[in-house]
Amino acid sequence: MHISEGVLSPAVLIGGAAFAAAGVAVGMKNLEQKDIPTVGILSAAFFVASLIHVPAGPVSAHLILNGLVGLILGWKAFPAILIGLSLQALLFQFGGMTTLGVNTLNMALPAVICHHMFKNSLKTGMGKHTVTVCAFATGFFSVLLSGIMVGLSLYLTGEAFLPAAKLVVAAHLPVMFIEGILTTTCILFLKKVRPEILEGDHVS
Amino acid sequence: MFRNNPHNAVTLGLKYNIICLIFTMLWLLLLPVSVSAHNVTVFAWVDGDTIHTQSKFSGGKRVKNAPIVVYDVKDVLLLEGKTDENGMFSFKIPKKTALKIVLKASMGHLAVWKLQAEELGEAESKTAAQPTGMKTSLVTDSDSAGIQKNVDVSESTKMSLGRREIEEIINASLDKKLRPITEMLADAMNHEPGFTEIMGGIGYILGIVGIALYFANRKRNR
Repeated sequence: MHISEGVLSPAVLIGGAAFAAAGVAVGMKNLEQKDIPTVGILSAAFFVASLIHVPAGPVSAHLILNGLVGLILGWKAFPAILIGLSLQALLFQFGGMTTLGVNTLNMALPAVICHHMFKNSLKTGMGKHTVTVCAFATGFFSVLLSGIMVGLSLYLTGEAFLPAAKLVVAAHLPVMFIEGILTTTCILFLKKVRPEILEGDHVS
Repeated sequence: MFRNNPHNAVTLGLKYNIICLIFTMLWLLLLPVSVSAHNVTVFAWVDGDTIHTQSKFSGGKRVKNAPIVVYDVKDVLLLEGKTDENGMFSFKIPKKTALKIVLKASMGHLAVWKLQAEELGEAESKTAAQPTGMKTSLVTDSDSAGIQKNVDVSESTKMSLGRREIEEIINASLDKKLRPITEMLADAMNHEPGFTEIMGGIGYILGIVGIALYFANRKRNR
């Protein structure tokens, strides 16, 4: 899912960076003191998740966990993912510093979209089934949308959209299911142990 | 919903704890075989007049059927090819300059390997020595000068021919001997994130959280 340096055209890189900066700005505006530890923990989870490699599928793919980050944090997923990606680029050589903007946008925007689609399911009084289905959908669709956005980034640089997007999505199909299950597990666990993390104030 | 009934919550809680445990265990089981991710690398080495390239994802999985493009120093395209089932692609040296070998793996992955002109030098001297003949080899090679001082002209022709052959034999056997080492090097190029990197990253994040909390606190106390 990380786009390497030297693949995209400068226009796409700059555009991606601009949108990512806007997203980070919105996230920082919503950031309150009590959110900071949550953002940090999820950023760390995102950072480490990329090391868990899913051996299924035609190409090597790894967990992303952007769905979980987005569902809990909303717009604050942008700064969390930006930090995670910067450290991945610096320490693991995934992606790169020039593609940081595009990669942040590709992973954080789907997370925010899924947050707005499914956040209501996390409020108290929702049935357990609803929570399960919505959490799974968040994990699943955020990876799917990220794949489509990677395809789109490559398309804007001059590759054919459909083959590129198809390949990314196909490669991440196992990841989508695993992320769906993981997101569900985490959300159900948090709902039981620390329901206040999921509720109220985090709606942005 | 399941918070309203305390009795139910206990049994449900147990059930979820077990499920969570199972998932964590599954997750951990996945870990040791696969602590890796998908950064791509390409590694190239010279063997005689051929350049071999090996392409891998950082999980060790070979990059199959991915295009490889070779440029010279001035970014002029020299040749294109595709990796085979083992992620290997070999080609004859197209030009005796520094080469830039670019692997374009799918999904926006790209890796570059630069071969310096000196690495190709060995092959160069071999092919270049052929047309110019033994005179240059007599003059340029100071190592052999000592031997050739004592022999007359007719013998020196024989000697230099022999020398060239010897050189070829040495090169060939060196290539053979060094192959496991170059392959090991190719594997070692696959830089996998280790414990240090992971802990370092988490440490950075904790540090950033600390700084953010410090500033947030200062703002509130003001």
